[in-house]
Amino acid sequence: MSAPTSNCPNCGAPVTFRWSSAIQTTCEFCHSILIRTDLDLKKVGEVADLPADASPIQIGTEGVLDNKGFVVIGRIIYEYEQGGWNEWHIVFNDNSNAWLSDAELEYDVSWLAPQHQIPVIGRGSECILANRAYTVTSITKAHYKGVQGELPFEYWDKSDVAFADLRTPTGEFATIDYSEKTPLLFLGRSVEFDDLHFKNLRRFEGWTS
Amino acid sequence: MNNPLFLLYGVLLLGATGYLEYTGKSFDRINQQRVLPKSIRDNPGAYRSTYGGYSRYIGGK
Amino acid sequence: MSTTLVSQSLVKAKSLSCPNCGTPIELRGFAHTLSAVCPSCLSILDASNPELQILQTYQGKERIEPKIPLGSRGAFNGTVYELIGFEQRSVQTPDDYFSWDEYLLFNPYKGFRYISEYCGHWNVIRVQSRVPYPTTARGRRGWVLDARKFAAFDAMQAATSYVIGEFPWQVRLGETAACEDFIAPPYMLSSETTAGETTWSLGEYWEGSKIWQAFRLPGKPPSPQGIFANQVSPYAGKTGAAWRMWLWFNVALFTLMTIFNLTKANKEVFHDEYSYAYFKSHDTSFVTPAFQLDGVNKNVEVRFHADIRNDWIYLSMALINDETGQTFDFAREVSYYVDSDGSEGSRDNRVVIPSVPAGRYYLRIEPEMVTGALSTRYEISVRRDVPIYSYFWIAAALLLIPPIVTWFRSNQFEARRWRESDYRPVDSPVMKIAGGIIESLGDD
Repeated sequence: MSAPTSNCPNCGAPVTFRWSSAIQTTCEFCHSILIRTDLDLKKVGEVADLPADASPIQIGTEGVLDNKGFVVIGRIIYEYEQGGWNEWHIVFNDNSNAWLSDAELEYDVSWLAPQHQIPVIGRGSECILANRAYTVTSITKAHYKGVQGELPFEYWDKSDVAFADLRTPTGEFATIDYSEKTPLLFLGRSVEFDDLHFKNLRRFEGWTS
Repeated sequence: MNNPLFLLYGVLLLGATGYLEYTGKSFDRINQQRVLPKSIRDNPGAYRSTYGGYSRYIGGK
Repeated sequence: MSTTLVSQSLVKAKSLSCPNCGTPIELRGFAHTLSAVCPSCLSILDASNPELQILQTYQGKERIEPKIPLGSRGAFNGTVYELIGFEQRSVQTPDDYFSWDEYLLFNPYKGFRYISEYCGHWNVIRVQSRVPYPTTARGRRGWVLDARKFAAFDAMQAATSYVIGEFPWQVRLGETAACEDFIAPPYMLSSETTAGETTWSLGEYWEGSKIWQAFRLPGKPPSPQGIFANQVSPYAGKTGAAWRMWLWFNVALFTLMTIFNLTKANKEVFHDEYSYAYFKSHDTSFVTPAFQLDGVNKNVEVRFHADIRNDWIYLSMALINDETGQTFDFAREVSYYVDSDGSEGSRDNRVVIPSVPAGRYYLRIEPEMVTGALSTRYEISVRRDVPIYSYFWIAAALLLIPPIVTWFRSNQFEARRWRESDYRPVDSPVMKIAGGIIESLGDD
């Protein structure tokens, strides 16, 4: 299957899109942030050196979730006072997409939930989302650190972003992203490393996956 | 098997009970005597039982 | 599906040197490590930036050696983890001081786990992202997770009193957290609250030998002292199982009794009535007509009934084989007294003679009474091959002993467990006495 290929407007290197609905990507070689227009790619910025991170996932990592294969095509990197985390952008073989969050090797998957009333919340408060009772477990002020790969929207040079995490006793997970004027709600669940059947993970010195 | 000791205990107990029942043993005081001559039949008074005489007398109230 | 080359580069452990004493330090937690302790001068260093700033220098005098050496690798639930950090936490209350050890395990794919150790009791712990349901247990706030009810066990302010190795957060000596433990043995649900944020972790009790096996450590683990909060009771499940076994044994006993009831002939072979007259000649002995006893070595029951009131009759008897002369000698008293308070004794009595060979037998009977009554009527009957019910009643009573003992010992164990809790219940007087008896009978 051939993926559409263009050339980076900045350095001319080949840029491949794994996902037809990708809006933004980065050039592997010059780290320019490229937006996709109807005709070609436009450079809108650059990604500074990404912080050293220890996520075992990388762009190109494959896995299986709910019996559907997926591939990791991009990420957004955040840091907060207790460390860092990656929001990996994953695309399934049916062309749908989701977010795989890796925070200190605890994994959650979530999907954008459109048309939801975002409740007003504080830490520890409870609310009902999609007929389930969630408790707010954390409200985080995160620093945007960079992007990499294909994303479904334009996203770069953010400064501080607020997130709220909500969870249920049975592992359901929700997160509210306050980076835009209208907060975005994502619904999903926590997942175990073993259940994702990863392939093409990063290798660590002295460890076998 | 949670309680192997109990199983053994119960089996032995039931076994002992079954054995005692089967052999018809009892713990009553019986004195098995020597062989007596046939003449006792005709003359019962001639035989003196080991239990002759008063037993422990439990008087009235 | 993917055609683009995936990065094959190897992530390497960072090597740095301590700004305080120059000792080389290798960070085994890769980019997760936010603070690292210099193994020689024990200063806490900020690993989040390359300058490795000193966050805190060590003021204490002694080094504490972790019971499991840093760098050890062990397998837990099929995954290999490396021990990268060690922390001792302590609690100081007005009348008590105690501490426990926490070990940080790391796997670059599966994440972090913790092992805690207190007085030889070990727990393997995982931080939970889920939140438990609130509930009530033992009259207090408890929690439900994975369909298990966790009861409040203790609460304390824990301070970090010693660190070595590396951590994915900024450690500080003296830093405190409000900790609460809830138990559902073998599990323990713990909450830790710092600056308003609560983290839940779920621990599972592991025996020291299992930990030593996981790390393949030489020697023996420290022996456990006392009973720990979520330690599994050796009687777990045994009480129910014991009562179930008791039930089955009773069924078997009843079946056995029924079988004997049906297979024993219980045949009446002789029955007669007599009259005792006081003024007869002093030799009152007589013999009965002969009767046949069948069956090989079965028992014989001789029953007597006397119509007496406020009196006694003494019957000395012999069962004699007409052919062989073999004799079975016995005697019984029948006494019966009645007054306004009630009755004493019985008008009936019986004897069971075991193992009487088959043959023709007769009874020699010698009654004795000291009485004013003119005549006293009494009956004697002989039955062959009778069941003896008392054995079954005795067996049934003896069968009760194991489940009751198990139940008591299980309760005793739980009482010892809860004695360590901040919320120990008050024993009822019955349990206190019973507990004392059982404890003296045999302390393991």
